[in-house]
Amino acid sequence: MTAGRTLGQFYPVASLLHGLDPRAKILGTAALAVGLFLVDSAAGFLLISAVVVLLVAASRIPPGTFVGFLRPVAFIVALTALFQVFFSREGELLLEWGFVQVHEGGLVRGLFLASRILLLVSTAALLTATTAPVALADGIEDLLSPLKKARFPAHELAMMITIALRFIPTLHEEAQKITRAQAARGADFSEGGPIRRARALLPVLVPLTIGAFRRADELAEAMESRGYRGDEGRTRYRELRFRTRDALVLCAAALVVFAGILL
Amino acid sequence: MNNRNHEGSRHGGPPVVSCENVSFSYLDSGRPALGEISLEVRAGEYVGVVGPNGGGKSTLLRLMNGLLRADSGDVRVAGFDPAAEPFEVRKRVGMLFQNPENGLVAPFVEDDIAFGLENVGVSREEMRERVRKAVRAVGLDGYEQREPHTLSGGEKQRVALAGLLALDPEVLLLDEPTSMLDAAGRRGVLERLEALRGARTVVHVTHHLDELLDADRVLVLGAGRLVADVSPERLVSDPDLLRDNRLVLPTALRLAAELGLGPAKLRTPEDLAEAIVEKSGARAR
Amino acid sequence: MRIELENVRHVYAPGTPFEVEALRGVSLAIEPEEVLGIVGGTGSGKSTLVQHLNLLLVPTSGRVLVDGADVRTIRGRELRGRVGLVFQFPEAALFAPTVEEDVAFAPRRLGLSEGEVHRRVGETLGLLGASHLAGRSPFALSGGEKRRVAIAGVLAMAPEVLVLDEPTAGLDPATREDLLGVVRALREEGTSVVMVSHDLDEVAEVADRVCVLENGEVRAVGAPEEVFYAHPTTAPSTVRVVRPLRGPHPEVGRPVRFEETLAALKGLLEGRV
Repeated sequence: MTAGRTLGQFYPVASLLHGLDPRAKILGTAALAVGLFLVDSAAGFLLISAVVVLLVAASRIPPGTFVGFLRPVAFIVALTALFQVFFSREGELLLEWGFVQVHEGGLVRGLFLASRILLLVSTAALLTATTAPVALADGIEDLLSPLKKARFPAHELAMMITIALRFIPTLHEEAQKITRAQAARGADFSEGGPIRRARALLPVLVPLTIGAFRRADELAEAMESRGYRGDEGRTRYRELRFRTRDALVLCAAALVVFAGILL
Repeated sequence: MNNRNHEGSRHGGPPVVSCENVSFSYLDSGRPALGEISLEVRAGEYVGVVGPNGGGKSTLLRLMNGLLRADSGDVRVAGFDPAAEPFEVRKRVGMLFQNPENGLVAPFVEDDIAFGLENVGVSREEMRERVRKAVRAVGLDGYEQREPHTLSGGEKQRVALAGLLALDPEVLLLDEPTSMLDAAGRRGVLERLEALRGARTVVHVTHHLDELLDADRVLVLGAGRLVADVSPERLVSDPDLLRDNRLVLPTALRLAAELGLGPAKLRTPEDLAEAIVEKSGARAR
Repeated sequence: MRIELENVRHVYAPGTPFEVEALRGVSLAIEPEEVLGIVGGTGSGKSTLVQHLNLLLVPTSGRVLVDGADVRTIRGRELRGRVGLVFQFPEAALFAPTVEEDVAFAPRRLGLSEGEVHRRVGETLGLLGASHLAGRSPFALSGGEKRRVAIAGVLAMAPEVLVLDEPTAGLDPATREDLLGVVRALREEGTSVVMVSHDLDEVAEVADRVCVLENGEVRAVGAPEEVFYAHPTTAPSTVRVVRPLRGPHPEVGRPVRFEETLAALKGLLEGRV
């Protein structure tokens, strides 16, 4: 039984953000992401953080749930930040304990890096949590469609995203089932060193992979039998409508990014 | 071939599906999966297909919508050759698979139901209307925004069926659609299929003979050959034909057969109880 | 081995909006050398229940006792060798290059000698009529063969209790009959079998006792004729044929299995009773 929601999952409520055109949200997120790489001041980070907090509030996702989305990356964020803190020798020496030294420059860089990653993940989580997967895929396809002339497989890419989003929960459940089945046959996934543990995962990974290929086969048959033949003559069920408010949101995002960089 | 086992169609409609001397072999297998099969299905008929695993049932369905191409012989469905014009055939023929989990493409029920309509290029306004109707036809109102992985097997299969019905197909090909479902899920799907009887031509592959008791005809495929083409009444009354093709009667019909009470007219255990009351009453008198 | 569940409750994701109470105080015993049929539909809690029998899940409250000892005092690995659990569609977990290797996985995990492992693999495949498949790849088998090999993969641990969750789901009726034969053979050899199934007709054929699970609670438990004749909505085809006859012909009795039912009905029609 799967409960709870994880990073990248859609959180279906009605909110201002949910109602925006996926293209506006994708471009806005991209703008914020670019901005986050260029911002290099505490004030800039504070500004973007404030905007992200406002957006979370506007998304009607409970703050606790949203923080939950970020939990999977917390470890990596902490690790990279600490790496900066301990191994950078820039600026004033703040603390010394044996061979461990903390310099001011390292501390600042560590904090900036942590903020950068956390804010990046937050904006991405906001995008996927407020945009139905199908709409997300349609948005991506539409934004990339000018590239179709250059033979870029925009439709195929969008279809891949849709199918991936559709099957992630299914494969997740399947992995749990197989893990339980092998545990019932005496498999132990927690004992021994890393190599032994990796080996212990084989009885889960092999059937999971084989199962995924079987699913792919059956899915291909089902799609073909339902008349799928790529982009040719295809219409769309979901309508993308770029309204005034979408344009406003995009302008706002651009302004925030400029302000953040200038600060 | 003996005539007793080849009654053929009793419907008068024009043939919608026809196979003439159709043979097919899989690449990695020495034995043909189907050898020189000839059959016809007429408009509005409900035709069952039974037989042991590996007998060629699934292969036959896949030839009918162009997922496979016959080595020799002619297949025609709704006026087209499925191998040459698969798209034209698939617009008119819907296929329901054994495992509904792997046939649902979109992350939401309504988007999945619309998938086939998108493929054939139906306009958005019409799509909305057709999706709404299809959802209602399978009794899934209120499920439009659900994600497939939160549904039971029976519900998933009904979503898949809705996706076919939205295209208003002339022919439905059913490949063991209930075999992975529990009793309740199976009942739900069978009820929806029952409602389609007569309105559409149906070819229904199954291992459960009780699903075919009201079929117009049942084809028995064994080792790639058409062993029999008979009415369900005749099939359930022929112990040799059943045994030779690893077919098992539902419990009540098996009891009836063993008691010499002619299983052909019975549907449920309650029917058999009634028949026994009648017979024992007659004896008492 | 006797397994006893005492007022077992199980709650998934407690304290979250996704909280589900799958078992609501189940008390039930699995006696040595019996076939216990557990019937119930989707959401009855049967799959949660069976995972308590070998410590894959622990009760939120209540106790599971094995021969009187709380399972929490037993190591999970040891118990999993004594209570073999075969999940629904178990063939999804086949992974080794050959059938033989796959079936050997579990007994090897028990730390048995290679000779003993080999002996058990041979014996188990024999019991399931799958000896001829030993050298084949499990992925190249038919559905029914895969199912048998997957069951062998658990049975090779020589468990005292074998738990089968929907063992015949998705199989054709003839293969199903073969599998029910295996269940009977196991009981003959002294293994207890817990068979979870939504198919009342097959439970009727093999069960010594029946437990009806509904909404996470035991609605009825007892001898098949007691349970099936007392609960009209939970009756196999045989019972549905006989029940209406019991008014005018009480002498027909309460047969449950096919052969018993056939004999009783023959007697009735021939006026021998």
